Amino acid sequence: MERRDFLKISAVGSAAAALDGCGNPDHQLIRFIPEEELIPGVATWKPSICTQCPAGCGLIVRVMQGEAEVIRHGQHGLIKMGLAKKLEGNPNHPINQGKLCPRGQTGLQVTYHPDRVRNPLQRTGPRGSGQFKEITWDEAIKQLVAQLAPLHADTNNEHTFAFVSSPLRGQRATIVDTFAKSFGTAPTVFDFLDGDVTKTANYWTFGYGAVTPDIANSNYVISFGADFLGTWNSPVAQSIGYGTMRKGRPGQRGKFVHVEPRLSQTAANADEWIPCKPGSEGLLALSLAHVIMRDKLRPAGRAPVDGWSQGLSDYAPEKTADQTGVPRATTTRIAHELAASAPALALIGGGAAAQTNGFPNALAVNALNDLLGNVGKIGGLLFSPSAVAQETTVNPFGPVNIEALTSPTRLINGGAMLLYNANPVFASPVAWAVREALEKIPFIASFGSFIDETSVLADLILPDHSPLESWLDDVPQSGSARMVASLAAPAMSPLHNTRSMPDVLLDVAQQLGGGLAKSLPWKTYEEALKASFTEIYKTRASKDAKDADEFWQRVQDQGGWWSPDEKPAALKSSGSPVMYVAPQFDGDPRQFPFHLLPYASQMWYDGSLANLPWMQEAPDPISSAMWGTWVEINTQTAAKLGIVQGDQIEVASQHGTLQAPAFVTPGIAPDCVAMPVGQGHTNFTRYASDRGANPISILAPLTDSETGSLAWAATRVKISRIGPGKIALFGGGLTETPPELKHR
Amino acid sequence: MQWRLSAQGQITSASAATSDQVFTPAHSTVLGAIREFLDIRPTPVQPIQFTHKVHLANGLQCVNCHVGVDQGPDAGIPSVSFCMTCHRVIATDKPEIKKVAAYYARGEDIPWERVYGFEPSAHVKFNHAPHIRAGVDCKECHGDMTTQTVAERKVNLTMGYCIQCHKQRQASIDCVTCHY
Repeated sequence: MERRDFLKISAVGSAAAALDGCGNPDHQLIRFIPEEELIPGVATWKPSICTQCPAGCGLIVRVMQGEAEVIRHGQHGLIKMGLAKKLEGNPNHPINQGKLCPRGQTGLQVTYHPDRVRNPLQRTGPRGSGQFKEITWDEAIKQLVAQLAPLHADTNNEHTFAFVSSPLRGQRATIVDTFAKSFGTAPTVFDFLDGDVTKTANYWTFGYGAVTPDIANSNYVISFGADFLGTWNSPVAQSIGYGTMRKGRPGQRGKFVHVEPRLSQTAANADEWIPCKPGSEGLLALSLAHVIMRDKLRPAGRAPVDGWSQGLSDYAPEKTADQTGVPRATTTRIAHELAASAPALALIGGGAAAQTNGFPNALAVNALNDLLGNVGKIGGLLFSPSAVAQETTVNPFGPVNIEALTSPTRLINGGAMLLYNANPVFASPVAWAVREALEKIPFIASFGSFIDETSVLADLILPDHSPLESWLDDVPQSGSARMVASLAAPAMSPLHNTRSMPDVLLDVAQQLGGGLAKSLPWKTYEEALKASFTEIYKTRASKDAKDADEFWQRVQDQGGWWSPDEKPAALKSSGSPVMYVAPQFDGDPRQFPFHLLPYASQMWYDGSLANLPWMQEAPDPISSAMWGTWVEINTQTAAKLGIVQGDQIEVASQHGTLQAPAFVTPGIAPDCVAMPVGQGHTNFTRYASDRGANPISILAPLTDSETGSLAWAATRVKISRIGPGKIALFGGGLTETPPELKHR
Repeated sequence: MQWRLSAQGQITSASAATSDQVFTPAHSTVLGAIREFLDIRPTPVQPIQFTHKVHLANGLQCVNCHVGVDQGPDAGIPSVSFCMTCHRVIATDKPEIKKVAAYYARGEDIPWERVYGFEPSAHVKFNHAPHIRAGVDCKECHGDMTTQTVAERKVNLTMGYCIQCHKQRQASIDCVTCHY
């Protein structure tokens, strides 16, 4: 017999005794019948909308058949279904034109997050203990209606009611607005980063809330704190424009100057980084305006800004150099460059608007744009028709409104708070005592997909679908001068036992009846969207399709509707007179010598994306730090204080302390320290809990004088070295591993 | 089901089962490694005694059920809902059909056992669609299904078998065509 055959036979003999089937552990899970028949291995791309930041970029989603572990009727099993696998920018979308930022890419992780709430939950333990039990949707809706019906019936509105959410747009905003107002109050909007300061200043000056800077055609951009390549306004659209400005026009490069006390990722792209003193941005803008007028560089035919006929002599660079920290020669030179480089444009955002004088700062920069003659012109400030000034009908979330909600006279008549896509307990200073206030509200329901510091206080959790599983619409406020109404059908079926938030509101509205049921007549959000797009068809797009049904289908296929390219409408700005007001800071400079500058993180934004592990793993653009918080401290300052890279330091304001490792850098003014916003969650999934420190917690409760928005860059702190520490930096080789970096 | 929020913010539940499988081509036993080397596989035991013979005799084509075969890498097996489109009314008295109906009634898909496939260590991917486009008949690799009930490995699908045909038809024999 051949040796090979002998071996085969003896192997078969012993193998037969040890057969174990396929050894496939998946056999322990049953397979549910698929709800859709898909060709395996063949992918399709479906349009969607990014909801990870307010820009509102368009997405395309790669969907392919896969197996998901799900629970159906209480049973664990597998199901074959179309699964979203990868996100990219929608090439046809006017805002982002096929590009996508890292936050957008990470939207995929929301759908598949292991700590997503998969079922309605009812609180079983004390409020905030995190003890919940699963209930059915029928039971959850019944409880919600039972709690809301008496408040709804009370036509005198003497109770507390709040619908707290991030700023909403489109039909979603309409539904929430109508729902909340039927309880006697406009929705309450919570937005830590982009408070009302620049929006209100823009309404005053231009009549529009958001600007769409035409960077692509500009020859000179000066940014006062606006992180326009990272987190401000519409970063992807602006980045595309910036690329064109710098490299897309042969022979023309355009100059970019960034004014900010720290070297942000946007500042790192600038030809010149000018670290002005915090809060003096408006003063610098007025100095530039003064030089332009003094040296007769004002564009011909450009009428002077109202109240500027004296040439703003109070703002001459020699008078302002001490307050701004910018040498007069620099100011004079930049003013000359601005005037000589039409079209030139000025932007303001970030910390410059988050001061007690944020509003005057914003008005000053707006007026500078007016003086430069760029408003409504190519290469200057353009406006999306969607950003037109509307009567402000929302209540901003802040001390005044919290007090109104939790006053004993109102609570005595009952109260409810509905929570959607907002985490005010995390993103408010401890000095505001938000948690203590919300705990008084008798009934709290959250629509969120995750348990976080605020939703953990809820009595009822009614988990929304993830965005990729939802009908979505959006009306972006900036990023394109065209009118844009995005629309997306769900890219995949829901994995879990979740329900679309607007669908829940519509269901409850029908059950509450009366005028509310009449004003929200749709059974589903899909129906509501079809109605609003039929309106668009009738009023603006009747040439685009032969009937409303065809229009509805085409808009879905495209990812939205947008108006044809138009020349910007001539704009007359109101030219309101501008007076500079000096900033105020919390803390005596002798005891608290440093300005604390929190900044929006490219990855965690305002902290709401810290639960996504890709955003923890992605290195910060300037420091390359990951999986933690850090304090940026100037090289010379660090040397004086005996602090080296990675040392654990304590940052203390009058309102609290925190600890984080130091990142030593020349990219920050010596009397400032900066910290990214977003970490320091006490309760936000396995990836973000007990990780890093939250600079918002120690901020002073100072507000902008005009709008009442939190002045989050107005807190002074002191620094002390605790001892050696660890910081995980991607650049230079990792010597630390993320699990080691959990801090208090 | 009780839910708890751990200190880490994780939602845990008493009956959560996970399938945290670490992917590795390594075999967990020596016996397993030997079996792969000698291409010994256990005969799959199918939950339903499906008979290709009967279905083909009744005029069905391969591609009526294995729909993906000319569009993508996987031929695919239809779900039980597809079977029920006919077997709602056809041969409903037969015991095997009754089993099919029972799966459907329970909302469960039929847990077919895999017949064809390669070991992970082969690092090989097979794509049906180009083969169908090239006019390769199903029976060249799957045998004559008109004689089979459940699918069986009648053809020994070694790499040599693939290469031989590729050489004959002058298709690519570059490694990365299939090993990637």
